[in-house]
Amino acid sequence: MNRVLLFLILGVLLPVSMALQELLPPIPPFRERLQLLPVVFAFGVLAFPLLPALWLALLAALVQGLAVLQISDGQAEIGLTLPVVFFLGWAIVLQMASEATRGMRWELHAVGSALVTLTLLAGQFLVLCVKRGGFPVDAAVLCGIAVPSVAALLLAPLLYLVLGVLVPLAVKEENPNGPSQGPAF
Amino acid sequence: MKKIQIAALVLLAVLAIAFCTLEAGPLLHLKSGMMGLLSPISRSGDAVKSSLGNLGKDLMTLDQLQAEYNRAVAENRRLRAENNGLRDLQRENDHLREVLGYRERSSFRLVPATVIGHDSGAWWSTVKINKGSRDGITPDMPVITDKGLLGKTTAVSAGLSEILLVTDENCKVAAKVEGTREQGICAGARSPGGELHLTFLSKLADLQPGQKVYTAGVSGGIFPSGIALGTVKSFRARELDGEAVLEPAADPGSVEEVFVVTGAK
Repeated sequence: MNRVLLFLILGVLLPVSMALQELLPPIPPFRERLQLLPVVFAFGVLAFPLLPALWLALLAALVQGLAVLQISDGQAEIGLTLPVVFFLGWAIVLQMASEATRGMRWELHAVGSALVTLTLLAGQFLVLCVKRGGFPVDAAVLCGIAVPSVAALLLAPLLYLVLGVLVPLAVKEENPNGPSQGPAF
Repeated sequence: MKKIQIAALVLLAVLAIAFCTLEAGPLLHLKSGMMGLLSPISRSGDAVKSSLGNLGKDLMTLDQLQAEYNRAVAENRRLRAENNGLRDLQRENDHLREVLGYRERSSFRLVPATVIGHDSGAWWSTVKINKGSRDGITPDMPVITDKGLLGKTTAVSAGLSEILLVTDENCKVAAKVEGTREQGICAGARSPGGELHLTFLSKLADLQPGQKVYTAGVSGGIFPSGIALGTVKSFRARELDGEAVLEPAADPGSVEEVFVVTGAK
């Protein structure tokens, strides 16, 4: 297995995770839905060097942006600009965090997944407030942001465990004598 | 940095800028394309979910029966389980007959469809159904159930459509209140709570809980007149207008069978 294959797997997993999100039942008792895409995205950008991570971020932006696209009065409420900037920005931040913590770590993935989810949902809410007017923050809104973020934090180690086995294989094949940059537990 | 890496970076930047400059029309086409690509996953996922759901129901029924009749003879247990299974079939049969009856009574041309997915976004109320442009569905068609209005189609692919529910803040419907001359605009809330808000009513409207609200069917609008929207739960006079909170006629959380209105009969 090489990096290209891993990239393809994660590239396919991004839209599949979006389709799965829609099929999974809401989290009881809050009735909020799981956000799987940020968890896969965070894993992908941590597993790759900067350039493929940016490509993965662009794909994540495309999938996420199109999935929530709504046209109002002939205009896209949230087009692709904000998702593209958001995911590319987070890809760079997570890459820097990965370098600062010397490699890919499950803690970093968990915290990254939660933060990406939190900022994604909060950002969408803020953009809608600007576009539609008003700022109706209540318990339901806070719950709508916090519950999926905590769920992403808890779900991330599971995905890390499953997908983490692929990363050392890819790195080893590319650089058999080099130091392992694979996932650390 | 190698030449190929520079080329990949430039291509990435060009693509990112191209995506950012797309207008609403091309974006909607892209969305329909993505829905088309993902429709096999949505459809097969829904089939698996239904199978697992039915399995769970059967196991639960058997568990309940075993707990309740654990001292009954084996033959009695088997017959009761079988009887229970038949009751499930009868319930399903009655429900489908009711739905079919509605389709025949209705004065609209209806395309029956099944809900196969709920929107995973936090701030939009949408569902996906298993019918699309292949079945004559286009964007901005009303979607109803046997109880009342559910929403309208937005993005449509060959075999899937997305429905913007009436409980979404962006789905605005002209509405009239039964037994009065009051008319207003009905829409959902930003944080999906399942309630509808009927605004721009007269301050003196004094609506009572239980009054029915129907679509007003304004000319040039999407929704035909006379489709049930909901029931008044409360009314309050605001500074400039009156606002009523409604219980939706069709519960978006539990709806399974829907009809897309493709025209009049």
